[in-house]
Amino acid sequence: MIQRHFSIALVGLILGLLLVLQFRTANQQEPAVPGDRAHELTVELKALTTERAGLESVARDLEGKLARARLGYVQAEETIKAQIREAAVLAGMTRVAGPGVRVIITSRTGATPPGAIFAVRDEDLLKLVNELRAAEAEALSINGQRLISTSAIRLAGSHINVNLQRITPPYEILAIGDPIALRNSLEIKGGLVETMRDWGMDVTIETQNRIVIPPFKRPLVYDYTEPVAEASH
Amino acid sequence: MIAVQFRLYRDIQESVPVQRVQRLMAEVQAARKERDQLQERVATLRAELDAATAQTGLQPLKKRLDRYQIEAGIVPVRGPGVEVILEDSNVALQPGQNPNLYVIHDEDILRVLNELRVAGAEVLAVNNERVLAGTEVRCIGPSILVNTKRLAAPFRITAIGDPDNLESALKMRGGVVDTLQQFWGIRVSIKKMDQLTIPAFKGSQEFTYARPYLEEK
Repeated sequence: MIQRHFSIALVGLILGLLLVLQFRTANQQEPAVPGDRAHELTVELKALTTERAGLESVARDLEGKLARARLGYVQAEETIKAQIREAAVLAGMTRVAGPGVRVIITSRTGATPPGAIFAVRDEDLLKLVNELRAAEAEALSINGQRLISTSAIRLAGSHINVNLQRITPPYEILAIGDPIALRNSLEIKGGLVETMRDWGMDVTIETQNRIVIPPFKRPLVYDYTEPVAEASH
Repeated sequence: MIAVQFRLYRDIQESVPVQRVQRLMAEVQAARKERDQLQERVATLRAELDAATAQTGLQPLKKRLDRYQIEAGIVPVRGPGVEVILEDSNVALQPGQNPNLYVIHDEDILRVLNELRVAGAEVLAVNNERVLAGTEVRCIGPSILVNTKRLAAPFRITAIGDPDNLESALKMRGGVVDTLQQFWGIRVSIKKMDQLTIPAFKGSQEFTYARPYLEEK
Protein backbone atom coordinates (compact mmCIF):
# COMPACT_ATOMS: atom_id res chain seq x y z
CA MET A 1 0.00 0.00 0.00
CA ILE A 2 2.69 2.41 1.06
CA GLN A 3 4.70 1.36 -1.94
CA ARG A 4 1.85 2.16 -4.30
CA HIS A 5 1.43 5.61 -2.77
CA PHE A 6 5.10 6.12 -3.09
CA SER A 7 5.23 5.27 -6.77
CA ILE A 8 2.25 7.52 -7.49
CA ALA A 9 3.99 10.32 -5.67
CA LEU A 10 7.18 9.67 -7.64
CA VAL A 11 5.36 9.71 -10.96
CA GLY A 12 3.57 12.87 -9.89
CA LEU A 13 6.86 14.49 -8.95
CA ILE A 14 8.51 13.67 -12.25
CA LEU A 15 5.49 14.84 -14.20
CA GLY A 16 5.44 18.06 -12.23
CA LEU A 17 9.11 18.71 -12.80
CA LEU A 18 8.75 18.07 -16.50
CA LEU A 19 5.79 20.39 -16.72
CA VAL A 20 7.64 23.18 -14.98
CA LEU A 21 10.67 22.69 -17.19
CA GLN A 22 8.46 22.68 -20.23
CA PHE A 23 6.75 25.88 -19.23
CA ARG A 24 10.00 27.59 -18.51
CA THR A 25 11.50 26.62 -21.81
CA ALA A 26 8.40 27.73 -23.64
CA ASN A 27 8.48 31.03 -21.78
CA GLN A 28 12.08 31.62 -22.71
CA GLN A 29 10.98 32.32 -26.21
CA GLU A 30 8.85 35.25 -25.15
CA PRO A 31 11.24 37.80 -23.70
CA ALA A 32 13.80 37.32 -26.44
CA VAL A 33 12.07 39.87 -28.74
CA PRO A 34 14.69 38.87 -31.25
CA GLY A 35 14.16 41.53 -33.91
CA ASP A 36 14.73 44.29 -31.44
CA ARG A 37 17.86 42.83 -29.91
CA ALA A 38 19.37 42.02 -33.24
CA HIS A 39 18.76 45.60 -34.24
CA GLU A 40 20.35 46.97 -31.11
CA LEU A 41 23.38 44.74 -31.43
CA THR A 42 23.83 45.74 -35.04
CA VAL A 43 23.81 49.40 -34.05
CA GLU A 44 26.42 48.70 -31.39
CA LEU A 45 28.53 46.71 -33.80
CA LYS A 46 28.49 49.55 -36.27
CA ALA A 47 29.50 52.05 -33.60
CA LEU A 48 32.34 49.77 -32.52
CA THR A 49 33.56 49.45 -36.07
CA THR A 50 33.80 53.21 -36.55
CA GLU A 51 35.42 53.60 -33.16
CA ARG A 52 37.98 50.97 -34.05
CA ALA A 53 38.77 52.61 -37.37
CA GLY A 54 39.24 55.93 -35.58
CA LEU A 55 41.54 54.41 -32.98
CA GLU A 56 43.56 52.68 -35.66
CA SER A 57 44.22 55.95 -37.44
CA VAL A 58 45.13 57.60 -34.12
CA ALA A 59 47.56 54.77 -33.39
CA ARG A 60 49.16 55.07 -36.84
CA ASP A 61 49.50 58.80 -36.41
CA LEU A 62 51.09 58.39 -32.99
CA GLU A 63 53.52 55.79 -34.32
CA GLY A 64 54.66 58.26 -36.96
CA LYS A 65 55.06 61.01 -34.40
CA LEU A 66 56.92 58.75 -32.02
CA ALA A 67 59.37 57.71 -34.72
CA ARG A 68 60.06 61.35 -35.58
CA ALA A 69 60.30 62.53 -32.00
CA ARG A 70 63.00 59.95 -31.32
CA LEU A 71 65.24 61.40 -34.04
CA GLY A 72 66.35 64.37 -31.95
CA TYR A 73 65.53 67.55 -30.13
CA VAL A 74 64.37 69.53 -33.15
CA GLN A 75 62.09 66.75 -34.30
CA ALA A 76 60.72 66.31 -30.79
CA GLU A 77 59.90 70.00 -30.67
CA GLU A 78 58.17 69.80 -34.04
CA THR A 79 56.16 66.82 -32.86
CA ILE A 80 54.92 68.63 -29.78
CA LYS A 81 53.97 71.62 -31.86
CA ALA A 82 51.99 69.40 -34.20
CA GLN A 83 50.24 67.83 -31.21
CA ILE A 84 49.43 71.27 -29.83
CA ARG A 85 47.93 72.35 -33.15
CA GLU A 86 45.68 69.29 -33.26
CA ALA A 87 44.65 69.40 -29.60
CA ALA A 88 43.96 73.14 -29.86
CA VAL A 89 41.32 72.52 -32.54
CA LEU A 90 39.56 69.86 -30.45
CA ALA A 91 39.82 71.98 -27.32
CA GLY A 92 38.06 74.91 -28.97
CA MET A 93 41.10 77.18 -28.82
CA THR A 94 41.11 78.00 -32.53
CA ARG A 95 38.72 79.75 -34.87
CA VAL A 96 36.94 77.20 -37.04
CA ALA A 97 34.79 77.35 -40.15
CA GLY A 98 32.42 74.94 -41.81
CA PRO A 99 28.81 74.32 -42.82
CA GLY A 100 26.14 74.45 -40.15
CA VAL A 101 23.19 76.36 -38.76
CA ARG A 102 22.53 79.78 -37.30
CA VAL A 103 19.72 79.92 -34.75
CA ILE A 104 18.25 83.21 -33.58
CA ILE A 105 16.01 83.33 -30.53
CA THR A 106 14.06 86.36 -29.34
CA SER A 107 11.24 86.84 -26.91
CA ARG A 108 8.37 88.31 -28.87
CA THR A 109 7.68 91.68 -27.30
CA GLY A 110 4.09 92.43 -26.45
CA ALA A 111 2.65 89.23 -27.80
CA THR A 112 4.21 87.15 -25.03
CA PRO A 113 1.30 85.48 -23.26
CA PRO A 114 1.89 85.64 -19.52
CA GLY A 115 4.87 87.98 -19.52
CA ALA A 116 8.31 87.25 -18.17
CA ILE A 117 7.69 83.62 -17.24
CA PHE A 118 7.99 82.71 -20.88
CA ALA A 119 10.92 84.95 -21.76
CA VAL A 120 14.02 83.11 -22.97
CA ARG A 121 15.69 81.45 -20.01
CA ASP A 122 19.08 79.86 -19.46
CA GLU A 123 17.60 76.38 -19.56
CA ASP A 124 16.04 77.01 -22.97
CA LEU A 125 19.47 77.79 -24.38
CA LEU A 126 20.98 74.87 -22.47
CA LYS A 127 18.47 72.49 -24.03
CA LEU A 128 18.85 73.92 -27.53
CA VAL A 129 22.59 73.46 -27.30
CA ASN A 130 22.08 69.93 -26.03
CA GLU A 131 19.90 69.10 -29.04
CA LEU A 132 22.56 70.43 -31.38
CA ARG A 133 25.20 68.38 -29.57
CA ALA A 134 23.04 65.28 -29.94
CA ALA A 135 22.94 66.02 -33.68
CA GLU A 136 26.75 65.92 -33.59
CA ALA A 137 27.57 69.59 -33.72
CA GLU A 138 31.36 69.92 -33.80
CA ALA A 139 31.68 73.51 -32.64
CA LEU A 140 29.17 75.79 -30.92
CA SER A 141 28.94 79.39 -29.82
CA ILE A 142 26.32 81.62 -28.23
CA ASN A 143 26.60 85.33 -29.00
CA GLY A 144 30.27 84.94 -29.84
CA GLN A 145 31.12 82.84 -26.78
CA ARG A 146 32.64 79.52 -27.82
CA LEU A 147 31.22 76.64 -25.83
CA ILE A 148 33.79 74.28 -24.35
CA SER A 149 33.30 71.40 -21.92
CA THR A 150 33.15 73.70 -18.90
CA SER A 151 31.07 76.54 -20.34
CA ALA A 152 28.13 77.33 -18.08
CA ILE A 153 24.95 78.95 -19.41
CA ARG A 154 23.32 80.56 -16.45
CA LEU A 155 20.88 83.19 -15.42
CA ALA A 156 22.58 85.76 -13.18
CA GLY A 157 20.12 88.39 -12.10
CA SER A 158 18.15 89.32 -15.18
CA HIS A 159 20.84 88.36 -17.65
CA ILE A 160 22.20 85.17 -19.05
CA ASN A 161 25.91 84.57 -18.60
CA VAL A 162 27.90 82.33 -20.91
CA ASN A 163 31.53 81.71 -19.97
CA LEU A 164 30.88 84.24 -17.20
CA GLN A 165 30.25 86.92 -19.84
CA ARG A 166 26.90 88.64 -19.93
CA ILE A 167 25.02 88.17 -23.18
CA THR A 168 21.90 90.04 -24.25
CA PRO A 169 19.03 89.18 -26.61
CA PRO A 170 18.64 88.44 -29.44
CA TYR A 171 20.47 85.19 -28.77
CA GLU A 172 22.45 83.77 -31.65
CA ILE A 173 23.61 80.18 -31.54
CA LEU A 174 26.08 79.05 -34.20
CA ALA A 175 26.77 75.36 -34.78
CA ILE A 176 29.08 73.64 -37.25
CA GLY A 177 28.10 70.17 -38.42
CA ASP A 178 25.77 68.50 -40.89
CA PRO A 179 23.38 71.43 -41.58
CA ILE A 180 20.36 69.26 -42.38
CA ALA A 181 20.80 67.03 -39.32
CA LEU A 182 21.29 70.05 -37.10
CA ARG A 183 18.21 71.78 -38.42
CA ASN A 184 16.07 68.65 -38.25
CA SER A 185 17.08 68.00 -34.66
CA LEU A 186 15.56 71.33 -33.69
CA GLU A 187 12.56 71.39 -35.99
CA ILE A 188 11.32 67.89 -35.22
CA LYS A 189 7.55 67.88 -34.71
CA GLY A 190 6.64 68.24 -31.06
CA GLY A 191 10.24 69.11 -30.34
CA LEU A 192 11.88 71.81 -28.33
CA VAL A 193 11.61 74.62 -30.87
CA GLU A 194 7.92 74.00 -31.40
CA THR A 195 7.35 74.33 -27.66
CA MET A 196 9.42 77.50 -27.50
CA ARG A 197 7.38 78.98 -30.33
CA ASP A 198 4.19 78.07 -28.47
CA TRP A 199 5.57 79.99 -25.53
CA GLY A 200 5.84 83.07 -27.70
CA MET A 201 9.52 83.00 -28.60
CA ASP A 202 10.68 83.68 -32.12
CA VAL A 203 13.10 81.02 -33.24
CA THR A 204 14.61 81.14 -36.71
CA ILE A 205 16.93 78.48 -38.02
CA GLU A 206 19.06 79.04 -41.13
CA THR A 207 21.34 76.47 -42.69
CA GLN A 208 24.55 77.98 -44.04
CA ASN A 209 27.43 76.75 -46.14
CA ARG A 210 30.01 78.53 -44.09
CA ILE A 211 29.82 79.46 -40.48
CA VAL A 212 32.75 80.90 -38.57
CA ILE A 213 33.00 80.20 -34.86
CA PRO A 214 35.48 82.11 -32.68
CA PRO A 215 37.91 80.43 -30.27
CA PHE A 216 37.44 80.25 -26.51
CA LYS A 217 38.89 83.54 -25.42
CA ARG A 218 39.95 82.99 -21.82
CA PRO A 219 42.96 80.94 -20.77
CA LEU A 220 42.34 77.36 -19.68
CA VAL A 221 43.18 77.24 -15.99
CA TYR A 222 43.57 74.01 -14.07
CA ASP A 223 44.15 74.61 -10.38
CA TYR A 224 42.90 71.22 -9.26
CA THR A 225 43.28 68.94 -12.26
CA GLU A 226 46.42 67.12 -13.29
CA PRO A 227 46.86 64.70 -16.15
CA VAL A 228 47.39 61.09 -15.15
CA ALA A 229 50.47 59.60 -16.74
CA GLU A 230 49.25 56.41 -18.33
CA ALA A 231 51.19 53.43 -17.16
CA SER A 232 52.77 51.72 -20.12
CA HIS A 233 52.60 48.14 -19.06
CA MET B 1 6.33 15.12 -22.97
CA ILE B 2 10.03 14.56 -23.03
CA ALA B 3 9.85 14.53 -26.78
CA VAL B 4 8.01 17.85 -26.82
CA GLN B 5 10.51 19.28 -24.40
CA PHE B 6 13.37 18.18 -26.56
CA ARG B 7 11.85 19.65 -29.69
CA LEU B 8 11.03 22.90 -28.02
CA TYR B 9 14.57 23.22 -26.79
CA ARG B 10 15.94 22.48 -30.22
CA ASP B 11 13.55 25.00 -31.73
CA ILE B 12 14.88 27.71 -29.51
CA GLN B 13 18.44 26.83 -30.34
CA GLU B 14 17.80 26.72 -34.01
CA SER B 15 15.31 29.49 -34.57
CA VAL B 16 16.81 32.02 -36.89
CA PRO B 17 16.23 35.14 -34.75
CA VAL B 18 17.96 33.60 -31.75
CA GLN B 19 20.82 32.37 -33.84
CA ARG B 20 21.12 35.77 -35.31
CA VAL B 21 21.29 37.38 -31.89
CA GLN B 22 23.85 34.88 -30.71
CA ARG B 23 25.98 35.45 -33.76
CA LEU B 24 25.77 39.22 -33.39
CA MET B 25 26.56 38.97 -29.71
CA ALA B 26 29.73 37.06 -30.47
CA GLU B 27 30.71 39.64 -33.06
CA VAL B 28 30.05 42.52 -30.69
CA GLN B 29 32.14 40.85 -28.03
CA ALA B 30 35.02 40.34 -30.42
CA ALA B 31 34.79 43.93 -31.64
CA ARG B 32 34.75 45.21 -28.06
CA LYS B 33 37.84 43.25 -27.23
CA GLU B 34 39.66 44.59 -30.26
CA ARG B 35 38.55 48.11 -29.40
CA ASP B 36 39.87 47.75 -25.85
CA GLN B 37 43.18 46.47 -27.12
CA LEU B 38 43.47 49.39 -29.50
CA GLN B 39 42.66 51.81 -26.70
CA GLU B 40 45.42 50.34 -24.63
CA ARG B 41 47.80 50.56 -27.56
CA VAL B 42 46.96 54.24 -28.09
CA ALA B 43 47.50 54.91 -24.38
CA THR B 44 50.88 53.17 -24.49
CA LEU B 45 51.92 55.10 -27.58
CA ARG B 46 50.94 58.36 -25.90
CA ALA B 47 53.02 57.49 -22.85
CA GLU B 48 55.99 56.61 -25.06
CA LEU B 49 55.63 59.82 -27.01
CA ASP B 50 55.44 61.68 -23.73
CA ALA B 51 58.71 60.06 -22.66
CA ALA B 52 60.35 60.74 -26.04
CA THR B 53 59.63 64.45 -25.74
CA ALA B 54 60.69 64.89 -22.14
CA GLN B 55 63.68 67.16 -22.85
CA THR B 56 63.81 70.06 -20.40
CA GLY B 57 63.73 72.76 -23.08
CA LEU B 58 60.36 71.50 -24.22
CA GLN B 59 58.62 71.82 -20.86
CA PRO B 60 56.78 75.11 -21.58
CA LEU B 61 55.37 73.64 -24.78
CA LYS B 62 54.36 70.50 -22.95
CA LYS B 63 52.54 72.49 -20.28
CA ARG B 64 50.47 74.05 -23.02
CA LEU B 65 49.87 70.70 -24.67
CA ASP B 66 48.71 69.30 -21.32
CA ARG B 67 46.09 72.00 -20.94
CA TYR B 68 44.73 71.48 -24.42
CA GLN B 69 44.72 67.74 -24.03
CA ILE B 70 42.82 67.98 -20.75
CA GLU B 71 40.13 70.14 -22.33
CA ALA B 72 39.95 67.89 -25.39
CA GLY B 73 39.58 64.83 -23.16
CA ILE B 74 42.61 63.14 -24.68
CA VAL B 75 44.27 62.28 -21.36
CA PRO B 76 42.83 60.85 -18.14
CA VAL B 77 42.97 63.25 -15.20
CA ARG B 78 42.79 63.29 -11.43
CA GLY B 79 42.20 65.78 -8.68
CA PRO B 80 39.92 66.65 -5.77
CA GLY B 81 36.24 67.33 -6.35
CA VAL B 82 32.77 65.99 -5.73
CA GLU B 83 30.80 62.90 -6.58
CA VAL B 84 27.07 63.31 -7.09
CA ILE B 85 24.83 60.28 -7.26
CA LEU B 86 21.31 60.60 -8.65
CA GLU B 87 18.76 57.85 -8.15
CA ASP B 88 15.17 57.61 -9.27
CA SER B 89 12.52 58.52 -6.76
CA ASN B 90 11.20 55.87 -4.39
CA VAL B 91 8.05 57.84 -3.65
CA ALA B 92 4.99 55.59 -3.77
CA LEU B 93 2.88 56.86 -6.65
CA GLN B 94 -0.79 57.67 -6.21
CA PRO B 95 -2.98 56.24 -8.94
CA GLY B 96 -3.17 58.70 -11.81
CA GLN B 97 0.18 60.30 -11.10
CA ASN B 98 2.59 60.40 -14.00
CA PRO B 99 5.53 58.13 -13.10
CA ASN B 100 7.58 59.94 -15.71
CA LEU B 101 7.84 62.96 -13.44
CA TYR B 102 9.61 60.97 -10.76
CA VAL B 103 12.48 59.50 -12.73
CA ILE B 104 15.70 61.23 -13.66
CA HIS B 105 15.59 63.10 -16.94
CA ASP B 106 18.34 64.28 -19.22
CA GLU B 107 17.39 67.78 -18.16
CA ASP B 108 18.21 67.05 -14.51
CA ILE B 109 21.67 65.83 -15.37
CA LEU B 110 22.20 68.80 -17.68
CA ARG B 111 21.30 71.17 -14.89
CA VAL B 112 23.53 69.50 -12.32
CA LEU B 113 26.41 69.66 -14.81
CA ASN B 114 25.67 73.30 -15.55
CA GLU B 115 25.61 74.14 -11.84
CA LEU B 116 28.95 72.42 -11.33
CA ARG B 117 30.38 74.42 -14.23
CA VAL B 118 29.19 77.66 -12.66
CA ALA B 119 31.01 76.61 -9.47
CA GLY B 120 34.24 76.23 -11.42
CA ALA B 121 34.37 72.52 -12.23
CA GLU B 122 37.45 71.86 -14.36
CA VAL B 123 36.66 68.39 -15.67
CA LEU B 124 33.32 66.53 -15.60
CA ALA B 125 32.08 63.01 -16.23
CA VAL B 126 28.80 61.07 -16.06
CA ASN B 127 29.18 57.39 -15.18
CA ASN B 128 32.83 57.74 -16.21
CA GLU B 129 31.95 59.13 -19.64
CA ARG B 130 34.08 62.23 -20.00
CA VAL B 131 32.03 65.35 -20.68
CA LEU B 132 33.44 67.27 -23.66
CA ALA B 133 32.40 70.42 -25.51
CA GLY B 134 30.20 68.30 -27.77
CA THR B 135 28.80 65.89 -25.21
CA GLU B 136 25.03 65.43 -25.26
CA VAL B 137 22.81 64.06 -22.48
CA ARG B 138 19.59 62.59 -23.82
CA CYS B 139 16.80 60.33 -22.63
CA ILE B 140 16.29 57.24 -24.77
CA GLY B 141 13.54 55.17 -23.16
CA PRO B 142 14.66 54.24 -19.67
CA SER B 143 18.33 54.93 -20.28
CA ILE B 144 20.30 58.08 -20.91
CA LEU B 145 22.65 58.62 -23.80
CA VAL B 146 25.96 60.35 -23.10
CA ASN B 147 28.63 60.48 -25.81
CA THR B 148 26.27 58.13 -27.69
CA LYS B 149 26.79 55.54 -24.92
CA ARG B 150 23.74 54.18 -23.12
CA LEU B 151 23.88 54.71 -19.37
CA ALA B 152 21.41 53.51 -16.74
CA ALA B 153 20.50 54.85 -13.29
CA PRO B 154 21.96 55.41 -10.77
CA PHE B 155 23.90 58.22 -12.40
CA ARG B 156 27.25 59.16 -10.94
CA ILE B 157 28.43 62.62 -11.87
CA THR B 158 32.04 63.39 -11.02
CA ALA B 159 33.59 66.85 -11.12
CA ILE B 160 37.14 67.96 -10.41
CA GLY B 161 37.49 71.38 -8.80
CA ASP B 162 37.32 73.04 -5.39
CA PRO B 163 35.27 70.48 -3.40
CA ASP B 164 33.75 73.11 -1.06
CA ASN B 165 32.65 75.39 -3.89
CA LEU B 166 31.21 72.56 -5.91
CA GLU B 167 29.33 71.15 -2.95
CA SER B 168 27.85 74.44 -1.79
CA ALA B 169 26.76 75.37 -5.31
CA LEU B 170 24.68 72.22 -5.44
CA LYS B 171 23.38 72.46 -1.90
CA MET B 172 22.26 76.05 -2.30
CA ARG B 173 18.70 76.59 -1.01
CA GLY B 174 16.27 76.61 -3.88
CA GLY B 175 19.04 75.25 -6.10
CA VAL B 176 18.97 72.34 -8.49
CA VAL B 177 19.31 69.63 -5.88
CA ASP B 178 16.65 71.13 -3.68
CA THR B 179 14.18 71.12 -6.56
CA LEU B 180 15.00 67.56 -7.54
CA GLN B 181 14.58 66.28 -3.99
CA GLN B 182 11.56 68.26 -2.86
CA PHE B 183 9.42 68.18 -5.96
CA TRP B 184 10.28 64.89 -7.55
CA GLY B 185 11.71 62.87 -4.69
CA ILE B 186 14.83 62.08 -6.69
CA ARG B 187 17.51 60.80 -4.35
CA VAL B 188 20.67 62.85 -4.52
CA SER B 189 23.84 62.25 -2.57
CA ILE B 190 26.82 64.58 -2.73
CA LYS B 191 30.22 63.52 -1.48
CA LYS B 192 33.40 65.58 -1.36
CA MET B 193 36.40 63.64 -2.61
CA ASP B 194 40.11 64.19 -1.98
CA GLN B 195 41.04 62.35 -5.10
CA LEU B 196 38.98 61.53 -8.18
CA THR B 197 40.07 59.99 -11.41
CA ILE B 198 38.25 60.74 -14.64
CA PRO B 199 39.12 58.64 -17.69
CA ALA B 200 39.94 60.02 -21.11
CA PHE B 201 37.21 60.27 -23.75
CA LYS B 202 36.80 56.74 -25.03
CA GLY B 203 36.14 57.27 -28.71
CA SER B 204 38.32 58.89 -31.30
CA GLN B 205 37.63 62.47 -32.20
CA GLU B 206 37.85 63.88 -35.61
CA PHE B 207 35.98 66.77 -37.11
CA THR B 208 34.19 66.08 -40.37
CA TYR B 209 32.75 69.54 -40.94
CA ALA B 210 34.73 72.02 -38.85
CA ARG B 211 38.03 73.14 -40.34
CA PRO B 212 40.61 75.58 -39.00
CA TYR B 213 39.53 79.01 -40.14
CA LEU B 214 41.30 80.35 -43.21
CA GLU B 215 40.85 83.87 -44.44
CA GLU B 216 38.81 83.81 -47.65
CA LYS B 217 40.32 85.64 -50.53
